[in-house]
Amino acid sequence: MSPLVRARGWGWRWNARRAHAVRGLDLDVEAGERVLLLGASGAGKSTVLAGVAGLLDGGPDGTGEAEGQLLLDGVPAAEARLNAVAAGRGQARTGLLLQDPQAQTVLARVGDDVAFGLENHGVPVERIWPRVEAALADVGLDLPRDHPTARLSGGQRQRLALAGVLALEPQLLLLDEPTAMLDPEGAVRLRDVVAERLTATGAGCLLVEHRVDLWVDLVDRVVVLAPGGGVLADGPTLQVLAQRGAELAAAGVWVPGHRPVPRSREGSHGVLHQNPGAATDGRLLMALEDVAVGRRGHGAAVLSAVAAQVEAGSVTAVRGANGAGKSTLALAVAGLVPPVAGRVRAGRPLVGDPAPAPSRRRWRDRRREVAPDDPARWTPRDLVARIGSVFQDPRHQFVAQTVADELAVGPRRLGLARAEVAERVEGLLERLRLDRLARANPFTLSGGEQRRLSVATALATRPRLLVLDEPTFGQDARTWVELVELLAELRDGGTAVVAATHDVELCEALADVTWWVGDGRLRVDVPARSASGR
Amino acid sequence: MSTGLLDPGVVRPTALARANPVAKLAVALVLAFGLLLSVDIVTAGTAVVLELALLPLAGLGALAVLRRSAVLLLAAVPVAVVSALLGVDSGAVLVDLGPISVTSGSLQTGGAIGLRVVAIALPGVVLLATTDPTDLADALAQVLHLPARFVLGALAAFRVVDVLLDEWRQLGLARRARGLGGDGLLASARDVAGRAFVLLVIAVRRAAVLATAMEARGFGAGEHQGADRTWARPSRLRPGDVVVVLVGVAVTVVSTAAGVAAGTWELVIT
Amino acid sequence: MSTTEKSDAPSTPRRRPAGIGATLVTAVIVVALAALVWQGPTWFSEDGVPGAAQPGPAVLTLVLGALALVGWRTAPRRSWRVVDIVVASVLGVAVGLLFTLFNLAWNPISGLLGGFAFLGAVLTGPWLLGGVVGGLVIRRPGAAVFVELVAAVVSALIGNQWGFFTVIYGLVQGLGAEVVLAVLLYRQWGLTAGLLAGLGAGAAFGVLENLVSNAALPTGFQLTYLALAAVVSGAITAGLGGWALTRALARTGALAPLASGRNAQRV
Repeated sequence: MSPLVRARGWGWRWNARRAHAVRGLDLDVEAGERVLLLGASGAGKSTVLAGVAGLLDGGPDGTGEAEGQLLLDGVPAAEARLNAVAAGRGQARTGLLLQDPQAQTVLARVGDDVAFGLENHGVPVERIWPRVEAALADVGLDLPRDHPTARLSGGQRQRLALAGVLALEPQLLLLDEPTAMLDPEGAVRLRDVVAERLTATGAGCLLVEHRVDLWVDLVDRVVVLAPGGGVLADGPTLQVLAQRGAELAAAGVWVPGHRPVPRSREGSHGVLHQNPGAATDGRLLMALEDVAVGRRGHGAAVLSAVAAQVEAGSVTAVRGANGAGKSTLALAVAGLVPPVAGRVRAGRPLVGDPAPAPSRRRWRDRRREVAPDDPARWTPRDLVARIGSVFQDPRHQFVAQTVADELAVGPRRLGLARAEVAERVEGLLERLRLDRLARANPFTLSGGEQRRLSVATALATRPRLLVLDEPTFGQDARTWVELVELLAELRDGGTAVVAATHDVELCEALADVTWWVGDGRLRVDVPARSASGR
Repeated sequence: MSTGLLDPGVVRPTALARANPVAKLAVALVLAFGLLLSVDIVTAGTAVVLELALLPLAGLGALAVLRRSAVLLLAAVPVAVVSALLGVDSGAVLVDLGPISVTSGSLQTGGAIGLRVVAIALPGVVLLATTDPTDLADALAQVLHLPARFVLGALAAFRVVDVLLDEWRQLGLARRARGLGGDGLLASARDVAGRAFVLLVIAVRRAAVLATAMEARGFGAGEHQGADRTWARPSRLRPGDVVVVLVGVAVTVVSTAAGVAAGTWELVIT
Repeated sequence: MSTTEKSDAPSTPRRRPAGIGATLVTAVIVVALAALVWQGPTWFSEDGVPGAAQPGPAVLTLVLGALALVGWRTAPRRSWRVVDIVVASVLGVAVGLLFTLFNLAWNPISGLLGGFAFLGAVLTGPWLLGGVVGGLVIRRPGAAVFVELVAAVVSALIGNQWGFFTVIYGLVQGLGAEVVLAVLLYRQWGLTAGLLAGLGAGAAFGVLENLVSNAALPTGFQLTYLALAAVVSGAITAGLGGWALTRALARTGALAPLASGRNAQRV
């Protein structure tokens, strides 16, 4: 009897890509097996999942070019998928769960969304709704059928997507970094549901995930893909992790027992050395005075009575559950949205000496004089000189056609001389290993590269305060280490860093101060070690 | 996050509000094509009066109707004014400013054009305000038998509206953070264009992922295999829907008859 | 509706009937042509008085229609994949949101410049973008109509000053661009195709606007309106703009899964 999945010399090249995403893959997966697929970024793990799901069309009108064989129960994977639909029993061969919870919700009501796959598989209407109810119960979504999907949290959304997949009773679950964009609680909850359903149904899974620790107990086999193609290692979980741990960690996988360790740099690098005068003109960059934040027109504030300070050369972590107001608070600190009550006051070191008068003063600029210490009322030009912001989705920040131009936007906005702009751009390109990509379109970069670019754009104007929203979300261990090293370097150069994050490791590595948000309040927590040091 | 932009504004589930969306669509179309045939104040005026009389049956809150039809007048008034000023002159001259003149004839034409816009648009207001997009899609695919893949693709995309609106807000903040925008009209216009472009990029990428998720759940596979998809929410025409369509036809016929009786009705496409 | 469990499906694909889409579009084209032929003669007579019938416009539209039909039947990529449908739909929704933006901007603009009677003819370009961009990005028969129509429906659902008219206008404008792409046999997707598709969309808008809002105005006005709509709003704003937008999108790599992105520069 042939295995459930059989790949022989299988490869795939996406359209508009020169290199193959996967090449020379030989892999057998038996029914019921739980396999963790590992490999460096760009090793083609997601492509393998799409291939097994039967979603890759190598035809003349397809999305790429296939080579070799990829069989599901002895039938080419794409054919197997179509046959399962045509059988009309509402049983898919495989079920695919993707990373982004937002991108997988199809319909506007919870029940309709789960029913979607059953309808496509031609299940008679009277059998659809019982299966929908069962699937919702299986994933622990205790919601009425007509509950709007728009009101779900990220974790609920991901479990809804899982329900839609499970309703089709797949033999093999294909999980593509399913928890990368969830908060820690949501991630554990999803993992538990997956574990419980695999046991209950006897289905197998093929999992791609670089946060191995969360899933290590659930899988019984690990396959490591080599970046150039082929399989690097294949065997029982613990054995492979023990033998290949260091190698995997170096390739960006989060392997238990191989925690990424940021190197500490000797002194500050020239590119990032920010504020020579930081020591002399005071440390207080910003004070939040009885601040309340929330979205305008959305009723009550999420957080109120916030009193806190940001000091030069410190790292502040903003932590708390999703929806508690971390991001909103970060936006207020970054001068992007005004607080609904109270004052966000910028200190003298942040505002700097009265800015040199721009050649052409517009009436708008005069508003600055009314409240020179209110960041929300600064002109964008002043803001970008003083506070750098890094958004959760790097793409939101891209405004130029090439990576080099992207970095030049801020310095040009400051009115710097061309030579100075070029020098800053060169320095950042090199420091953040983007020099090879200088001419590339920012949107074509990989996730890790986009993250590095978005941080670099915020640093190009050498702001004294850097505000980041979930900077490490969905990043592999290598990008993570680079970010931590970079932030440490900035702090040592006198820059203040404020980061809204769920990332416990990031906080442990860097945070001098932690702002805990929850129940509409903020609690400032200054660990002893940093308090005594300053 | 729900913005409620697409939420229907029904307060009472009346028979008209619950009618099959295809029936409501038919009413809007019948009225639109019937009234487009002529520009005359009697036909358009009668249609508006009849529609207003029937409006309570739609079960809409007064506020919802007001909110959605207030903008309608903004469209109707300029059209009427331009027609009155520049229209073909006839009858007594009321105002004469060289090339621009208002006569009793052109004034009447202007009024007719304005009323016609209102008469055609009102049923649309009711249709849009009382219909849930999911129900509309179900009806289009099952009752009108429009291609299911396209109807469902569009429906899935409608859900993305909320997401894109949120992205739009984020893009505005992110651009301020990059030091852009805020200086004058031209810069603001450039800023909006830049945001719009990134929104499109993100939308297309999101769509590609959504397509993968939908295809993985069997969407579109039936096309290749000749297997039909089933529908969890059956949508079919009921006797009440026929009544709704007949009422729409009646309004059109009565208005046209009034116009013909008054002698003002005249086929516009000659 | 089937209520019985299906047996294993035949392994050979069932031949589908000629396709509802094709029939529908053919029907609409025929109706549009009839309207044009009907109104055609009056364009060349004075003040809307039916004069001696001029065969020019009628013949032109008939030839265009026939060519479009040939293009529709012989298009190289007739069937839509799921990714084409979903991207076209989401593109339509995104364009619909942009429509909403322009809807909001329209009232102040028309308030300031309301005295200029040809305002609509020269400033409608943004509302014609869906057809051009949809056609050039998706490169399938029907894409221009579909994207513009979805955009119009979103604009109407969100609510605007034109209500249900928006949907009718969207359909007609999309058809204007679609006919042009069909006449080009769905094989041209460059700048020229963009400009011509824009021209088609603008002309379609002009004809419809003449029927709906300008019906009572002199023929000379209507002709000028049509010409301005086709060239300024259509070819220049929507055509050139849509082409540039499509090219910029391709550069970001977002179009890679689509026909318009598959031959993009390899990275």
